[in-house]
Amino acid sequence: ADGAGSDNEDLPATDDEDEDALLSAWKLRELQRIKRDQEQRDEFAKEAKEIERRRNMTDAEIAEENKRLGLKKGGDRGQMR
Amino acid sequence: MANKTDVGAGHVHGTDPQHLIEKILASKIYDHSYWKEHCFGLTAESLVDKAVDLVCVGGTYGGQRKPTKFMCLLLKMLQIQPDKDIVVEFILNDDYKYVRILGATYMRLVGSPTEIYQYLEPLLKDFRKVRIRDPMGAYKITHMDEVIDGLLTQDYYFDIALPRLPKRVHLEAPKRLPPRVSGLEALKLLDETTGAGEGEQEQENEEDTSD
Repeated sequence: ADGAGSDNEDLPATDDEDEDALLSAWKLRELQRIKRDQEQRDEFAKEAKEIERRRNMTDAEIAEENKRLGLKKGGDRGQMR
Repeated sequence: MANKTDVGAGHVHGTDPQHLIEKILASKIYDHSYWKEHCFGLTAESLVDKAVDLVCVGGTYGGQRKPTKFMCLLLKMLQIQPDKDIVVEFILNDDYKYVRILGATYMRLVGSPTEIYQYLEPLLKDFRKVRIRDPMGAYKITHMDEVIDGLLTQDYYFDIALPRLPKRVHLEAPKRLPPRVSGLEALKLLDETTGAGEGEQEQENEEDTSD
């Protein structure tokens, strides 16, 4: 025995399948992939738009928005110092 | 030592290609009887014969996390670094599913991001069943496209940490990749599957033209 020979005990069949069932299952997976990809793209686009918007603001406007959103310049350094 | 990387092999991602498989898994492979008995002195040509005999893919299984033959051959490929043409031939072949996955996984490990997308994405159209060995040692049925999708989207697959792959969007922006054409569009199947997600847009377009 070649040690890895346990590979050959009752392998599940991967042939003798009807193509239609396989194809429709694949179509569903493919659509899910396209959907996931599109959602990711939308996310990136949204983020890019937000960055662009902030870049076009004046310092005063940014400071005001930071205050409104509760953001601090430089971030919270925490207790460990 | 027999486990040394081929002297002619170049570095991949700035390191010895064999380091792409973690040391702990690599040493398990070196200790495995399949590696010792069947992988010794393999060349790119004789490796093909071994790959053709594969009956499943997978990473490690069982209590001792034994490596699969698939893993042994993958490490062997990293060790001997076959020509890119050979790897591409592995990927393009239609007859042997497991050879294709072996080539695809190797490409995912050593290829550049553009190459990876270029060669792996077309395989998302392949919906054949493949056997995958789960960590408990049982054989599960999965599909070629699911395996390829896992390789493209996960950072850990077949029990190996895959090198970082940039998202497709970021490669499309600087025009390093064309937009992906789904297998559905190529088969003109989208109209059949309207209503489910992306089909809607296509349908709208058709209604416009029919007026």
